[in-house]
Amino acid sequence: MIRTKLQQLQELLGASAEIRVLSREEWERDGGSRNPEPGDYVTLPRGIRAVVRIDGTELQVLETDSVRTPLEKELLKFALQQPAGRNASAASDIERQSRRLGEWILQAVGAGEWKADVPNRFELHSRMPDGMIPFLIQYERSEEREIPYGELHKAVRSFLSDGILLIPLREQEWLVLGPDRLLSEADMSEEEAAGQEETKEVLASLGYGLHQMITGEWGGECHVAVGFPIEPKEELVGTAVMLRETIDLGRKFHMGQQVHLPWLVHLERLIQAVPESALSRLTEQLSGYADLFGDNETVATLDIFFANDCNVSETAKKLFIHRNTLLYRLDKIKQESGLDVRSFNDAVLARIMLLLYKITKRK
Amino acid sequence: MAGVRLEHVYKKYPGADKPSVSDFNLDIEDKEFLVLVGPSGCGKSTTLRMIAGLEEITEGKLYIGDRVVNDVAPKDRDIAMVFQSYALYPHMNVYQNMAFGLKLRKFRKDEIDRRVREAARSLEIEHLLDRKPKALSGGQRQRVALGRAIVREPQVFLMDEPLSNLDAKLRTQMRANISKLMKRLETTCIYVTHDQTEAMTMGDRIVVMKDGVIQQAATPEELYNHPINLFVAGFIGAPSMNFIRGQLVEEGGSVRFKSTGINVEVPEGKAKILRSKSYIGREIILGVRPEELHEEPVFLEASPNTIINAQIEVAENLGHEMLLYLSGLGKENVIARVDGRSSLQEGQNVRLAIDMNKVHMFDIESELNILES
Repeated sequence: MIRTKLQQLQELLGASAEIRVLSREEWERDGGSRNPEPGDYVTLPRGIRAVVRIDGTELQVLETDSVRTPLEKELLKFALQQPAGRNASAASDIERQSRRLGEWILQAVGAGEWKADVPNRFELHSRMPDGMIPFLIQYERSEEREIPYGELHKAVRSFLSDGILLIPLREQEWLVLGPDRLLSEADMSEEEAAGQEETKEVLASLGYGLHQMITGEWGGECHVAVGFPIEPKEELVGTAVMLRETIDLGRKFHMGQQVHLPWLVHLERLIQAVPESALSRLTEQLSGYADLFGDNETVATLDIFFANDCNVSETAKKLFIHRNTLLYRLDKIKQESGLDVRSFNDAVLARIMLLLYKITKRK
Repeated sequence: MAGVRLEHVYKKYPGADKPSVSDFNLDIEDKEFLVLVGPSGCGKSTTLRMIAGLEEITEGKLYIGDRVVNDVAPKDRDIAMVFQSYALYPHMNVYQNMAFGLKLRKFRKDEIDRRVREAARSLEIEHLLDRKPKALSGGQRQRVALGRAIVREPQVFLMDEPLSNLDAKLRTQMRANISKLMKRLETTCIYVTHDQTEAMTMGDRIVVMKDGVIQQAATPEELYNHPINLFVAGFIGAPSMNFIRGQLVEEGGSVRFKSTGINVEVPEGKAKILRSKSYIGREIILGVRPEELHEEPVFLEASPNTIINAQIEVAENLGHEMLLYLSGLGKENVIARVDGRSSLQEGQNVRLAIDMNKVHMFDIESELNILES
């Protein structure tokens, strides 16, 4: 069942409904029929479990506790029979397989099993060689129309490679796995192994390229995160969690940026993990410094200054101001707050204060 | 090809106190090169992103051609975008970068080849078609990004600060290239920049924005010579227009403008307007462009009633012109632009004549141009 349909159903029922994947044995153990069809249901102590789709030995089922009367059960059966039949014929094998894998990833994420291996039973298991580059795409706009899997798959495949996997996760969220040979295709150097910094640079350019492709060619605004190549059979769940966290941190701390890189949000991750009470104490302790962030100009200046590794010329260029204007602003910050952001220790402190400001004042 | 029309368009982000773009009304003609200009945060990029379909329109209607496109997906709007952060596809060569969009839209191979080679020829990057982005310079990458948009042959080009990542020399060169290219392609282009020189040299028409509101939409000449308010007058022109606060008085049958170090006669045409609008006896802001302060003896002789005396604090000789930073006039520093061959020096006193026929006068409260409104 596609996520939007699930949401619509939840709204209709006025209660939560959950999609699960069961083996036929599990289905039968709770009283399900031996040859289930979409729409078949069993009554549970609390609510109902109904078959949405059948994939070989597995069943995708819907569980909800808000369908009680026989009429409600029959209506749900009717509803599930209709779209299930249509989906079955319209969706390609790769879409079905990818959706199943996506649902499994979500279940594993929900259960906190971040190190779970991808089970052999998934058809896509054989299409996951070691060394795949993970990308996470989150669509920004709330389109009324659901983005067709086939269309997006075609665009991403044309863009990256025939060997990609596009795995739908939550609504408007996809995990993309691309072959790691993209790194060598993007890098002109003939050296056998690129250094870590060079790899980061190429991964970032692939992330920006993917974002550009979606916004410019395919249409719509999105956020993209990209990580180092992984062994997907073992690292898929953890990678999905890490990339999702990267986008969440990027959206929170770096508004206006659409491409997010895990290796650039370490400090943000650390601050996010600090309990609220400790953050409040820290904010209080730092309040001895004059308010650095009274105006947007100072916030923007510091943001770009830190993003450019405290490089004055680069920052001035990005801010469209003269180098001397930037130096004047930095001097003003020093005079007013006592923090010389061109020295290492003060820069670290100012950066932490800036991040704290973003999650406290700018709510 | 098509025009673009925005009717009472608003953009308000959830939780924001006020709209980022307010009541934006504009009719952009087919084949027009329109520039949106203004300081950071004025709403120019937001407006462009709404036209692109990357931001939802909170209120109002957007037309491309005769079609309302508020709810049309970005890819179906027949537009091509070039942004400041033009990311090329790093794993593809230049040819593939330019061909990708057409390939995605299932164009025939020979048609793709024709368009890519034609665009490459006009951008002078034919010799780079086999190279990967990493092997290109900043200017070459920028041209590839343009090429990627051009091959689409869209109804409208949208460009958001496409030159800001280039150095000054390359920017000047690319500015001319883009203008030339757009004239040849005869396609509507909406171009966003913070750089008023770019705006003045490229646009058929310029829209100056501030705080999400259109201040003035006019040709470059109109904006420069007839700014509607203090903001536009100060924003357009480098160095900026000088603003001197002072009083208008009637003396011996003529109107004079008086301020610290200044007592000059207002031409009768302007005086008539000031009298009819009851500005005599009131404080106003006088706007004088740096080039309207003259040191040439001929001008001084011809304008005895508009002469001022000032001291040169700093003299910057740029070769073809000299900028004089003057003190002793009003409360602010005043800049004069004189001939680069002038022998004037720092610390020296100078006599200058203001060309009062070309000055502007602004209401202190409304900041509107009294002589234009």
